[in-house]
Formats: sequence, structure tokens, C-alpha cells
Amino acid sequence: MITMRRHPLAMIGFIIIASILLLALIAPWIAPYDPDAINVKAILLAPSHMHLMGTDGLGRDVFSRMLYGSRISLLVGFVAVGIATIIGIILGAIAGFYRGWVDTLIMRIVDIMLSIPTFFLILAVIAFLTPSIWNIMIVIGLTSWMGVTRLVRAEFLSLRQREFVLAAQALGAKDRRLIFTHLLPNSLTPIIVSSILGIASAVLVESGLSFLGLGVQAPQASWGNILTDGKEYIQFAWWLSLFPGLAILITVLGYNLLGDGLRDAYNPRSSQH
Amino acid sequence: MLLNIDQNRFLKPWLVLSFLMLITACENSSSSRPSGHVTDFSQHYPASNGGMLVDAMTGEPSGLIAMIAGESAASAIAGNIFNSLLKYDKNLDLTGELAKSWDISSDQRTITFHLKPQLKWADNQPLTSDDVLFTWQKVTDEKTRTPYGSDFKLVIKAETPDANTFKVTYAVPYAPALDTWAGLHILPKHLLKDQDINTTAFSRNPVGSHYYKLDRWKNGQYLKLTRNNNATQGQARIDSLLSRIIPDKASQFLELSADNIDSMGLNPIQYARIFPARPDLNHHIALYKELGNSYTYMGFNLKRKPFDDIRVRQAINYAIDKQEIIDGVLLGLGEPVASPYKPGTRWSNPALKPYPYDPNKARDLLKAAGYVDHDGDGILDKDGKPFSFEILTNQNKEREMTAVLIQRRLKDIGINANIRVLEWASFLGRFIKPKAFDVVVLGWGLSLDPDQYSIWHSSQQAPGQFNFIGYSNPQADKLLEAGRIELDPEKRMKIYHEFSKILLDDSPVVYLSAGYGLSAIHKRISGISNPAPPAGIGHNTYEWYIPKAYARNEINEQ
Repeated sequence: MITMRRHPLAMIGFIIIASILLLALIAPWIAPYDPDAINVKAILLAPSHMHLMGTDGLGRDVFSRMLYGSRISLLVGFVAVGIATIIGIILGAIAGFYRGWVDTLIMRIVDIMLSIPTFFLILAVIAFLTPSIWNIMIVIGLTSWMGVTRLVRAEFLSLRQREFVLAAQALGAKDRRLIFTHLLPNSLTPIIVSSILGIASAVLVESGLSFLGLGVQAPQASWGNILTDGKEYIQFAWWLSLFPGLAILITVLGYNLLGDGLRDAYNPRSSQH
Repeated sequence: MLLNIDQNRFLKPWLVLSFLMLITACENSSSSRPSGHVTDFSQHYPASNGGMLVDAMTGEPSGLIAMIAGESAASAIAGNIFNSLLKYDKNLDLTGELAKSWDISSDQRTITFHLKPQLKWADNQPLTSDDVLFTWQKVTDEKTRTPYGSDFKLVIKAETPDANTFKVTYAVPYAPALDTWAGLHILPKHLLKDQDINTTAFSRNPVGSHYYKLDRWKNGQYLKLTRNNNATQGQARIDSLLSRIIPDKASQFLELSADNIDSMGLNPIQYARIFPARPDLNHHIALYKELGNSYTYMGFNLKRKPFDDIRVRQAINYAIDKQEIIDGVLLGLGEPVASPYKPGTRWSNPALKPYPYDPNKARDLLKAAGYVDHDGDGILDKDGKPFSFEILTNQNKEREMTAVLIQRRLKDIGINANIRVLEWASFLGRFIKPKAFDVVVLGWGLSLDPDQYSIWHSSQQAPGQFNFIGYSNPQADKLLEAGRIELDPEKRMKIYHEFSKILLDDSPVVYLSAGYGLSAIHKRISGISNPAPPAGIGHNTYEWYIPKAYARNEINEQ
């Protein structure tokens, strides 16, 4: 935290993410309306003190839907990246620690996965399965672990040659002890940084899928499907496109600022100037 | 003089200058139009020939032989190229098109069509009864992949006593016969006799006999039709029709606003919300509203529990607020329906009323059917299983919104419904054909004949047939059979009124609404009947015209 204070951008990112998390957590207490409450007498009302962000095509309060939608967007981000990070750490650790043919095999799988355009792979898989929030999280997780794998492998390869690791090995430390007490804790920083950046892209993928109608299903709100609803009315109901668009933009920006800031803060070369 | 100025451009100083010049030009009432920006479309000009009408369609036809292609985009274009024997006039009465007249034999089994003399195809070959016979042979051929064959297979004998006479005989009188002949495009034998009709290049390079012929088909972009000088029905006034392929309604609307297309079908939002807020559009675009021959419904899979129980179906019918759907989804641009016939026509039984919104009655009926909330979780249950099902619909904004409204109302009475939205091809292939669904929200577009044997008769339940909800009622079957062989319109009307009543009581579907067809047409197109006759504004497109003063300066084909 002390190092981060010297990085104002990281601080801004942190504040943005913290506030959005807070809003998502307390959504039920601050949302003025039930997010799914339909009112055909109040269709497409412009923002006013009654409806802070206006109403949508079925008369639902957009502000309440945005609050509940933030839960979906953040949940998808965390769970998907959680899955990707766990897979990435396991495979990266195995490849980096044992090297040899295991390393070659895992890295070739990574290459294959990286050569497939992820978004289209996700689209194809989701179109085949039932679109639901759980499927989306799992599919995003299963298709975005490659970066973490490479990162962890690289860290392990370089850490293995360090004196403290060699010393521990010389003292007879077992593989498990080497990995869990020496190598992994020392490679956590880049993993955290890449996870935070990964959350940003997971939020974008979820919004994209929901925008295409393959994401979170009606009537559940997510930023992506509020944005799709807005597409039809964009010529006169700007609030339906503006607010979810801004929310996605600010959230992704927040994660990116935080991630970049953390990387700078923990990188001795870039923090000197 | 009304002014139509694009507001964004108005802000730029160098355009303000030209704006001032336009005003001057108009005050001098100069006969040469300086630009498309200032035109008074309220003036009336006498009918004249020439010009081009540009419209937009959401899908590209797969071919222009309507019986093979099957989709509405194909029929719309092919309808300007091919003739049928008969057609409906503006009052929806049958009249001759290629046929001059027709006789029905006293046993009502034989129809003799007399063709108009001297008919010609666009390539100058004569059009004779041989072509009609050939078309009938093709549509009934087992090798022809068409869904329209069954009506024509009822013909047991087709003959051509001479070049201008075509005679068909049915085994029993068939009331919808004339309607089916009004829907069959006659194809040229001399071009198709050695071809496989399913794959022939003719479907992309057709030769017909109607007002227009295909001039150019640019894949994914447009189809251009031009005047057919041999047209059998006289000459249309407008020289050419350009149909642009623009898949998205919002993009079509932008093109309409920018004056790149002359007409399009609007959705309720565009009609009821955007137009009133845009006086600049109202100046040069006219709106038309007419009740279409279609309706939206929620259909139960009657082969699945608990939808085989009439009390459950009626309860759900009572629980859905139809007016809320009309107001919320169609913005009031729809009518409630209580029978599968267009409200206001003779086939629609005026005594029938839709199930009113009555959640208490719905709860009572569900209770009688054994559904009570035993465990207090807010969801009704029976034998320990909660009442929960899936509402299936296709990717159609209005149907999705309808499903959300229904879901909400069902939740009020303790039914948990999930919504699943699918793309059309997988919707049909994976769910409708194998009947793997609980409840669907869909629509029926109907022909003008009241015969709906293929939708409701218990024999029509094979995969791919239209009675996929599995409706079966011996009484309804009997009436449907009787309606097909009854040629007296009064008696026929009574049969279908009775049938509609049984259908409403049985509640195999919940009728939701019949929406208005909404169209926007540029005011440069003159000669449109307003108010629309029963056949709709499109009944006399060949009489529409574009006065020279209103014509576009130039059409950019890119």
C-alpha cells in the first residue's frame, strides 16, 4: 500500500474498483426499484429524479438494473479469472519446475490454444451449451489461462537458478516444499498483476457475449444486455446505451490502471524514475 | 414552403451560406430544384411513368422460384416477376390474373380456367396452358423440395383441352382450391423442362410474365427489377424497383432518414416514438398502419405434463395480461385476438372474447389441478415437484420482451418460467421438429382462406408438420374436415366460428396479440390508396408513380 501511494494512477484504479465493488455489494439496499419490476406505463422515460438513469423498453428502472448488473459483471470477472489463474499456476508450475518433455507438451498446448481466436471459440461453445452465467464463467476461464501459464513458467525457470532455491535444494528440500514455500510465493506479484488485467478482459468478454444475446439471459440484468436493449432505441433513448457503456469503460479502465500501477510499483526498474 | 434541413450540417458555417441560397431559390419558386433538401411534397402531380422505387429487405432471397425458396423475401420479389392464375383484388375478392375467367362444375369437383388470349413470357415465348400444367406437375412432383405440394396433390386429374384452357378435378370438393391457385406462380416450361427445379440456375435468373423482370442481382447488396415490356397485366408506372438488402432495422431506418431508400417496414418503437419526435422526417415520409394477417401466441406442448390438463392451460391463459403485452411490446399498435383469424374479417367469430386477466381465477384453477404451494417457497408444487418450465422463443426483440412480461405474470401466481432465446435454424431443428419444448412464443402468418387444417388437425403432427403443439380434438377435427369441402361461404363461416369457439375453450395456445403492419413510404411515391382497402396499401403498387419533380437526381448503385 505504501508503494502504491506513490503511483497516483494505481490509486485511482484502486478507488474505482473499490467503489464499484461496494456498490455491487450494497445494491439491494440502495437500488430504488426491483430491477425486474415491469411497468408498461413508464416505458423509455428519460433520466429524472424518479429514475436516475431513466427506464428501459419495459419500463424497468435502469439505475437499479445497472446496480444489479454490476454484480454479474464483477462476479463473472472474478470467477472466470479465478479459474484461469488456478489452471495457469498448476500448468505453469509443472512446466517450469520439471522442464523436459512435460514442459514441451504443456507449452505446445498453450501455443495451440493461443492460435485459436478466443472470442469465437467462446461463441461457438456457448451457442452449443445453454447460455447461462455459470457456463460463461467456466468457458471464459477455460479459454484464458494461457497467459498465466507462460508467466508462471518463466518465473519458475528463472527462480530455479537462484541461490536460495539451489541452497534449499542442496539442503534436501522436497519438490513440494520448493514449489510451495520458495518458488510460488516469489512469483505471486506478476500473477496478481496479470489476473487483475485478466478481470478487465473477462468483463469485456461477458459484455460482448450478453450484447450478442448469448450471455446472461433475460430477465437478469447485466451491463452487456442493457447495452443490447439500448441498441434499438439509440436514436432517442441515449441513456440506455450511455450508462452501461460508461460503466463498462470505467470498470475496465479501473482494473487496467490498478494492474499497470501494481506492475510499476513492484518493478524496481520502472519505479526508479 | 416547408424546410427540411439536416440539423448537423446546419451548424457548419459554410453550409449556412448555401442554406440561405436555398431559401432565395425557393422564394423565386424556381422550377429547377436546387437540391434535395427543400421540396414540398404536398403538391399533387398527375400520374406519370418513370422513376425508381428503392426499398429495403432484411434477408436475401435464396432463389426466386417461390415454391422452392419458401421465405418471405423470395415471395416478395418473385411476386413482381411471376403471375398466378388468380389474384385477390383490393376488397380481397378473387379475380383473374392470367385467367380471364373460371367455371366450377355442378358437382363442385372440377374447375376450368380460361386463360387470357395472347399471353407472353418476358422472352417473347407464348404463355399457354401447357406452362400451367407443367407448374402443377412440378409442385406435386415428389422430387421437388417444396412445402406447398400437399394442396395441389388433392388434384386427381389436370388437363389442357386447348392452349388457353386448364382443367383440374378434385376427388371431393375442396373449398380452399381457388385460394391455392392464387398463390402458385406459373413457371415457363420452355426454360425449365430439362432442369432440376431444386437447383436450377433459373432461380437466380428468372423469366416471368408480370410487371417486372430481374435486371441485376448483386449478392448481399441488392436486386434490381426493370419493366417487362411483355407484361401480361399491362404496364406498371414505375420503371424499376431496387430492393436493397439491409439486415438490421436500425440501419434501414438510418438509410430512410438519409433518403437512400423510399420505403421500409417499421417496428412499433420507430413508428410510435421516433417519428413523432422527428418533424423533419414527417415532412417527406408518410406512415401507414394496417392490421396484418398474423398473430402472436404462446403454445403449449400438449404431449407434456402438465399442459395436457385443460385447467392448467386455462389458468395460464387467465394469468397473462394481454393488454399489457399490446401496450408494452407493441406500444398499443396491436389488437387482442380470440380466434386464429384476423379480427374484423368474416371468419373471425365476433362473439368470442379473449380470456380476461384474472390471477385469482388462475390460482383457483391451478388449485383444482393440484398445484398448491406446500413448502411456502412462493412456487406452486404438486407431488413434491415445483411448477417450473421453459419458455422458448426465437431471436426477435418483440417476442423476447413478450416472454419477459409473461414470465413476470406467471411468477405472480407462483409459476417459475425460464426464458430461452434461440437462433431460428436451431430453434426449428433442435426443438420444434423433435417437439422438445415446454412452451413456445411464436407467430402464425396466415393465408386468406380460413382452412387451417394443417395447423390444428390431429393428423398433422409428424416432425416438420405444423401441428407441433400436438393439438387433438375429435370435434375440432370434424369441423376442419367439414370446412374444407363446404363451398357455401355462409355455411363455411358458421363452421369456422364453431371451430374457433372450441379452440378458445380448449386453450391449446394463449392468443397474445395481432400486431399492425407499419410502413413508412417517402412522399415522392404518389398514388397510394389512403385509407388502405382491405387488401392493404400494397394492392395497387403498379399504379404508384413518382412525379418528375420529386424524382431522385441520381441513384448511386454502390
